[in-house]
Amino acid sequence: MQSADVIGSGFSETPKLNYLTNGTTLKSWLLTKDHKRIAIMYLISVSVFFLMGGIYAATIRLELLTPASDLLETGTYNKVFTQHGILMIFFFLIPSIPAVLGNFLLPIMIGAKDLALPRINLLSLYLYWLGGAIALYGLMQGGVDTGWTFYTPYSTTFSNSYVLAVGVGIFINGFSSILTGLNFIVTIHTMRAPGMTWFRLPLFVWAMYAVSLVMILGTPVVAITVLLVAIERVARVGIFDPAIGGDPILFQHMFWFYSHPAVYIMVLPGMGVVSELISNFSRKKIFGYEFIAFSSIAIAVFGFLVWGHHMFVSGQSIYASMVFSFLTMVVAIPSAIKMFNWTATLYKGSIDFSTPMLYGLGFMGLFLIGGLTGLYLGAIGLTVHLTDTYYVVSHFHYVMVGGQVVAYLGGLHYWWPKMTGKMYSEFWGKTSAMLVFVGFNLTFFPQLILGYMGMPRRYAAYPPEMQVLNIFSTAGASVLGIGMLMPVVYLLHSLVYGKPAGDNPWRLPGLEWRTSSPPPTENFEKMPVVTWEAYEFGEDNGLDLEEDRRRDLAPVG
Amino acid sequence: MAKDPEHVHMEHDHMTIPKYLGVFAVLVVGTILTYWVATIDLDFIFPGANTLVALLIAFTKMACVMLFFMHVYWSPKLIWLAVVASFFWMAIMFAFTMADYFTRATGVFTT
Amino acid sequence: MSAHASDKFVYHEPGLQHQFEDMKQQEESVSIGMWLFLAQEIMFFGGLFTAYLVYRSRYPMAFAAASNHLDAFWGGLNTLVLIVSSLTMALTVYYAQKSNRNMQVIMIILTMIFGAVFLGVKGIEYTDKYHHGLVPMAGLNQRVKADKNAHHETEKPCWEVDRNAPPAVHPNPRGEFLWTDCSLAKLAQDENILTPSERFGYYSGGQIDIEKFKGIVRIFYYLYFVMTGLHALHMIIGLGLMTWLLWTAWKGNYNSEYYMPVEMSGLYWHFVDIVWIFLFPLLYLLGRHFNH
Ligand SMILES: [Cu+2]
Repeated sequence: MQSADVIGSGFSETPKLNYLTNGTTLKSWLLTKDHKRIAIMYLISVSVFFLMGGIYAATIRLELLTPASDLLETGTYNKVFTQHGILMIFFFLIPSIPAVLGNFLLPIMIGAKDLALPRINLLSLYLYWLGGAIALYGLMQGGVDTGWTFYTPYSTTFSNSYVLAVGVGIFINGFSSILTGLNFIVTIHTMRAPGMTWFRLPLFVWAMYAVSLVMILGTPVVAITVLLVAIERVARVGIFDPAIGGDPILFQHMFWFYSHPAVYIMVLPGMGVVSELISNFSRKKIFGYEFIAFSSIAIAVFGFLVWGHHMFVSGQSIYASMVFSFLTMVVAIPSAIKMFNWTATLYKGSIDFSTPMLYGLGFMGLFLIGGLTGLYLGAIGLTVHLTDTYYVVSHFHYVMVGGQVVAYLGGLHYWWPKMTGKMYSEFWGKTSAMLVFVGFNLTFFPQLILGYMGMPRRYAAYPPEMQVLNIFSTAGASVLGIGMLMPVVYLLHSLVYGKPAGDNPWRLPGLEWRTSSPPPTENFEKMPVVTWEAYEFGEDNGLDLEEDRRRDLAPVG
Repeated sequence: MAKDPEHVHMEHDHMTIPKYLGVFAVLVVGTILTYWVATIDLDFIFPGANTLVALLIAFTKMACVMLFFMHVYWSPKLIWLAVVASFFWMAIMFAFTMADYFTRATGVFTT
Repeated sequence: MSAHASDKFVYHEPGLQHQFEDMKQQEESVSIGMWLFLAQEIMFFGGLFTAYLVYRSRYPMAFAAASNHLDAFWGGLNTLVLIVSSLTMALTVYYAQKSNRNMQVIMIILTMIFGAVFLGVKGIEYTDKYHHGLVPMAGLNQRVKADKNAHHETEKPCWEVDRNAPPAVHPNPRGEFLWTDCSLAKLAQDENILTPSERFGYYSGGQIDIEKFKGIVRIFYYLYFVMTGLHALHMIIGLGLMTWLLWTAWKGNYNSEYYMPVEMSGLYWHFVDIVWIFLFPLLYLLGRHFNH
C-alpha cells in the first residue's frame, strides 16, 4: 500500500496555488510558458473555430432541406462548404486533440514539469492565432470557393476568391502544427520521469508520438504546396498551369501526400484517447498494449503510402492506382488491430458507463462504420461509382466527427475534472453523449444511402426524389448540434457551480491522477517515480475494486 | 546543483583543425569535380549517366558535411534515425509520385 | 523539499531552463528538437525536389536547354563560397568548445561575410536573368522597345541556332518571358531519345512548337526562382541568426560548458549549405554536356 497515499482520496482540498491561480493577469496568460495554460488557450480558440465551422455546417444542412437551391445561391454555397471544410480541418480537427489535450496531459502523463521546449510551444500557439487571423481575414473579405482541397488550376487561375489570404493562413498554421509535433517527440524522448519506460507510457502518449511523426514529416509538404499555389496566383504562371505544360495532377500528389496522413493526424489522437477510456472505464489492463502502441506507429508510417486513393479518377496512372488501392487495404489492418484489442479489453471488464465511456463506446461504433466504408472507397472499381458522392462525405464525417470529435469530447469530459478541478453534471453529460451518437447517425447514415444513389457532393440542388433522406439528415444535424452545444453550457456551468472533483475522481492509476486537480504549475509536488505498469488496477496500486464498489454504494458528500 | 566533473560534451575533441581542413578539401575537390565532369558527355555509358555522377558527388559532399561538420558521426542513434527517416520519407514521396508518372499512358493522344 | 514555490532561489547552472533536471537533458532535448526541425526542412524542400523530378524526367531536353542559360561559373563560385562559410561555421563551434572568444567572433564574422557574398552573387545572377527575359513572371523582365530601324531577320526554324553569333537583343516591350532556342529538342529528335511526354509536350502538328517548348523552359525557370529564392530566404534567416550569435559570442556567453546555441545555429547553417550542394548540380549543370 505504499503508493496509496499518492493517489488522491477524492476529498482533498484544492491546493492554494495551482496553474490557474498562479498569476491572473492577462499578461501572465499571454506570455506563459506553462503547457497547461497554453492548452487552455488552445481549447478556447479551437472551440471558437469549431463553432464557426458548425454554423457553416448548419447552413449547408438548411440549404439541403429542399431540392432547389433556394436558401443560398450556388456561388455562395460553394463558399459555405469550402469554409466549413477549411475551418473544421485546419483550425479545429488538426489542432484539437494534440494541442489541447496533448498539450495539457502529455507532460503530466510522463511525469515532466513541462514540455521540453515551452517557448516553442507558445510560439506555436501564436502561429496558430496568426494563421487563423489571416485565414479569417480572407473569409471576411469574401471567402474562398475552391473546396478545402484547393485543386488547381481552379484555385490558381480561375477562382475569383480570396485563395491567397486563406492559403497564407494555412501555411502559417502548418508551422504551428509542426512545432507542436516536434515538441511532443522531444518531450517523450527526454522528459520521462524515472521508471517511466517506453512500455509504461499511456497509449495516449504513443498516439501523440505517432501523430507528431506525421505532423513533422507531412505538414511541410502541404506548406510548400500551398506556397506554390499562392506564388502561382501572384505570378499568374507556375508549375501547375497546364497552359505552359504544367501538370495539375502534381498538385494533387503533393497535396494528398500530406492530406491523407492528415486524416491520421485527426484520428490517431482520437484512438489514443479511446484507448485510455476503454481501459480505464473497464477497470481492466488494456488487452494487447504493445499491439495498440505499435499499430499507432504503423498507421503513421503506412498512412504515407496510400495518398493516391484520392486520385483514382483524376488521371493518375491505373497502375499507380492499383498499388495505392492495395496499400489502402493494408492500412486498415492496424486500425482493425486496435478495434479488436479494445473489444477484448471490454470483455469481462467492470464497465463504468460514465459520460467519457459513453463517448468512447460511441467512437468504437462510429469509427467502425467510418473505417469499413473507407474500404469500399479504396476499392479501385467501386470508387468510380462512389467518387464525389455523398458516400464520400458521409465516410469522412464518420471518421472525423464520429471518430475524432467524439473522442475529443470524450477526452474533454474525462480530463475536465483534472483541468478545472470541477465536476460537471453527469446527467447532462450522459444525455449529450447519447444525443451526439443518435444525432450523428441520423445525419450521416442517410448520406451513405444518398451517395450510393448517386447524389453528388458540393451541389446546392438535388433531385426531388432524394428529399426524404435529406430531411432525415438535416433533422439529425439539429439533434447533433444540440448534443454538441450542451457541453458548452454544462461545462461552463460546472466552472462556477460544479462540485470539487478531487484529485482522482475516476479512481485510476495513471500519473495524471496522482497530482492535484487542477495541477500545480510544475505538475507535481516532487518528481514522481514510476513503479507500476500502465493501466495496472489492483490493491498493490492502491486501487481496490472492492473498495470502489463499497464507495459507489455509499452516499457521496 | 554543482557541476558534474564526469559530464563530457559528446562532440569534444573528435574534430581537430587539420581534420576540418581535410573535410573542407574534400568538399572543394568535389565541387570542382562535379563542375568538370558535367562538361563531358557520359551518355555513351547509359542515358542520364551525367546526372547519376553529379548526384553521387552531391551525396558524398552532403555526407561529409553531415558526418563531420554537423557531428552526426558522433551523435546518438536517435539523430541518425531522424536523418535517415527524413530522407526515407522524401524517397517515399519521390517513388510513389514517379510510380504514377512512369506508368502513365502519356503519348497515347499524340498523332 | 518543495521545489516549486522556491524555484527562483534554487541554484541553477547558467542557461539551464526550469523544466530540465540538468544540462545533459537540456542539451539532448534541444539537439533532438533541432534535428527534427531539419527533418521538417528536408520535407519542405522535398516537395520542390519532387516537382523538379517530375518535370525533369518528363522534359529532360527543355530542362537541359534552360539550364544552359544559367551561369555555371557563378553557381560554382557560390558553391565554393558556401563551403568556406560552412568551414568557418564549423570552426566557430570548435572555438566555442575551446572557450576561445576572440576566434569565435572572428569566425562568425567570416561566416557572415561569406554568406553575404553568396547573396550578392545571387543578386548578380537574378539581375542577369532580368536582362535576358528569363524571369518567368510576365512583366517582371527588362522592357526592350522594338527597334523600327532593325532589319527584319529572315525567319529561321527555332532549332537553327548559331552559337557563335553575338547575343541578339530581342524587342520585349512588355517584359515577357523570352525564349527562342529549341535546338536541343531537335537534337533529341534526331538521336531518337525523346521521352513520350516530350513527343506530346514540344510538338504541334508534327513540328517542334517553340511556344510549347518555351512553356517548359518557363517551368524550369519558375522552379529555379522558387528553389533558389527559398534557399536565399533561408540564408537571410541564417544571417539574422548569425547577427544574434555574434552579439552573444561578443559578450562571451559561450564556453566549453555551454555552447548549445552556437552548435544549433551551426546545424542550421550547414543544412542550408547542403540544400545548395544539391541545387547546384541539379539546376546549373544538367545540360552542359550537350554543349561540347
Ligand atoms: Cu485518404
